[in-house]
Amino acid sequence: MERRTLLTKLVHGGSALVGLVIGLPALIAGISPALQGRRGERWRPLGKLEQFPVGQTQAAIIEHESEGEPRPLSRQGVYVWRPTADEVVVFSRSCTDLGCPIIWDSGSQCFYCPCHGGIFARDGSRMAGPPDRELFRYANRVRDGVLEVDVFSVPPMA
Amino acid sequence: MAGERMKAIVDWTLDRFAVKQIEKGLLDRRVAKGTWYHGDGAALFLLFKILLITGAFLALSYTPSLDGAYSSVRYITEDQTLGWFVRGLHYWSAGLMVLVLVFHLLRQILLGGYKSPREGTWLIGVLLFFAVIATSLLGYVLRWDERAIYGLRVALNLMYRVPLIGESLVLIVQGGPHIGEQTLPRIYAMHVIFVPLLLLALIGYHMYLVVMHGITGPTERSQPVSDADEQRRLYKADAMSEERGETFFPSTAAKSGAFAGVVFLVVVVLTLVLGPGYLYPEANLVKSSFPMEEWWWSWYSALAGLLPPWLATTFYVGFPIVLFLILAALPFLDRSPRRGLRNRPVAVVVVSVCVIVILSLGSLRARSPWMAFPHSEPPPVPDGVQLSPYAEQGRQLFAQFGCNSCHAIDGHGAPFGPDLAASGRVLSHAQFRKIILDPPEEIAMPPYEGRLTDEELNQIIDFLMHVQITRHR
Repeated sequence: MERRTLLTKLVHGGSALVGLVIGLPALIAGISPALQGRRGERWRPLGKLEQFPVGQTQAAIIEHESEGEPRPLSRQGVYVWRPTADEVVVFSRSCTDLGCPIIWDSGSQCFYCPCHGGIFARDGSRMAGPPDRELFRYANRVRDGVLEVDVFSVPPMA
Repeated sequence: MAGERMKAIVDWTLDRFAVKQIEKGLLDRRVAKGTWYHGDGAALFLLFKILLITGAFLALSYTPSLDGAYSSVRYITEDQTLGWFVRGLHYWSAGLMVLVLVFHLLRQILLGGYKSPREGTWLIGVLLFFAVIATSLLGYVLRWDERAIYGLRVALNLMYRVPLIGESLVLIVQGGPHIGEQTLPRIYAMHVIFVPLLLLALIGYHMYLVVMHGITGPTERSQPVSDADEQRRLYKADAMSEERGETFFPSTAAKSGAFAGVVFLVVVVLTLVLGPGYLYPEANLVKSSFPMEEWWWSWYSALAGLLPPWLATTFYVGFPIVLFLILAALPFLDRSPRRGLRNRPVAVVVVSVCVIVILSLGSLRARSPWMAFPHSEPPPVPDGVQLSPYAEQGRQLFAQFGCNSCHAIDGHGAPFGPDLAASGRVLSHAQFRKIILDPPEEIAMPPYEGRLTDEELNQIIDFLMHVQITRHR
């Protein structure tokens, strides 16, 4: 191999190596939230089950942090619907179109999205507007009379 | 001699800092004569510089943390001496940058500015376009008010729809399983470090290429040019000619500066008159909120409102990708030798249609005819209508049972369902009864069967019978 070709290859290879040693770890660290997946506390309490009357839909709040003063965004609103005494449905407040905060209207018994006219029925099914699926439902369970939801059972931004 | 000594110092400085070369190579160079609209690039460059400087000073006081972000923006806007002005310049420069950038891009399409040998300039420009659009969203997320958090949530919902990697994208942007502690520093780093560095590099390269390949000159705009060699010959002739060429400094610089100056004036006036972007309540996921996008997104928001559900994911994911591909491929698809506005009727039609569509969508968003939303106040009694006490009861029930969440009465209320005072047809008592209790499958109305007593139902219908003839008399 000629000296010139060898040097060219060395310069290119060396630069690529330096770039790789810096860039790759930085990139991996940057995307680590995706590699680590969803970690942390999975089941969060919503309140005593008896707070939610049968046949009604009511707003409730998930506290994402179990200790200390509530901080901005550690509290997240949801809607709880209790069709029968044995059945509880917890809806995400996030419209399934683009994530705007839906609001419950007890008069018409529908959820309304304030952005593009998405309307959902009491059971979360789509009635109107651009949403292409029903409301996200949290998996829930009752432990010692307390309603708990699995915060990982809906999409991470919901 | 003092004078000679002075001149020696100046000469030394010019030589050692190689200023002469800049003067000779850049400022004194002959270029093809530009017209007023060639100043849009200079305007964009000025806006970018304003954004860098005001942004750097905003960063002095901004806190990229959950607890501190919103209050620091409040502090800058309300307490800091002239903080409102700096933030206002930043806000309006950002909005105007999007606007002028769209103008710049459409103008190149009109003139055929991407044609050889300027394909590279164009491709760098396309990257710049997407980087600026992205950072124009990131910037207002930093305000960390309700508009910010729901803007961010919209972006996350768009990403979530990307097949296979959607959830990963969301986690990467959020920095964790929820929007929280890790999110704001990421947005901040992107808006303040990553994107500006990228923009700086790309803008530098873009301008280097503009110096190398020039602007679309007068001769190019008037006669077909088949290839890069021919263009270079014609451009050189233009630049050297007395009437079709000029010296970059001060002739071109003055003209471009005029455009940039006007844009700058608009930024300052908007800042003084309207102030910086309005601060909504602090970001939260608990209170009910009416989030709106910033004005330069309103046309896109209207599109979202018009989408049929089956198209939503395809559109949200596909639109930016298709737009990028079309723009990137444009110089290779459009092989016609014709350049200049007058010789490109297809481009004129396409661009005009785009502009009209964007403006109409923007005005549609302002009206948002799809909007249905709960409202506790009953609608006012239409002019000239006398309600019996029985019908008045119905008017109260109309709000209590959320009828007014969708229906307006004589223009008052949500525009989603038919306006029941002006629907254009008169329904009988029995027809109302049927629709309210058991609405047809195809309309988005909840059934009231079992929710209303006969009395309540009759009162509501009585109210509707009273008002539905408002427009018929």
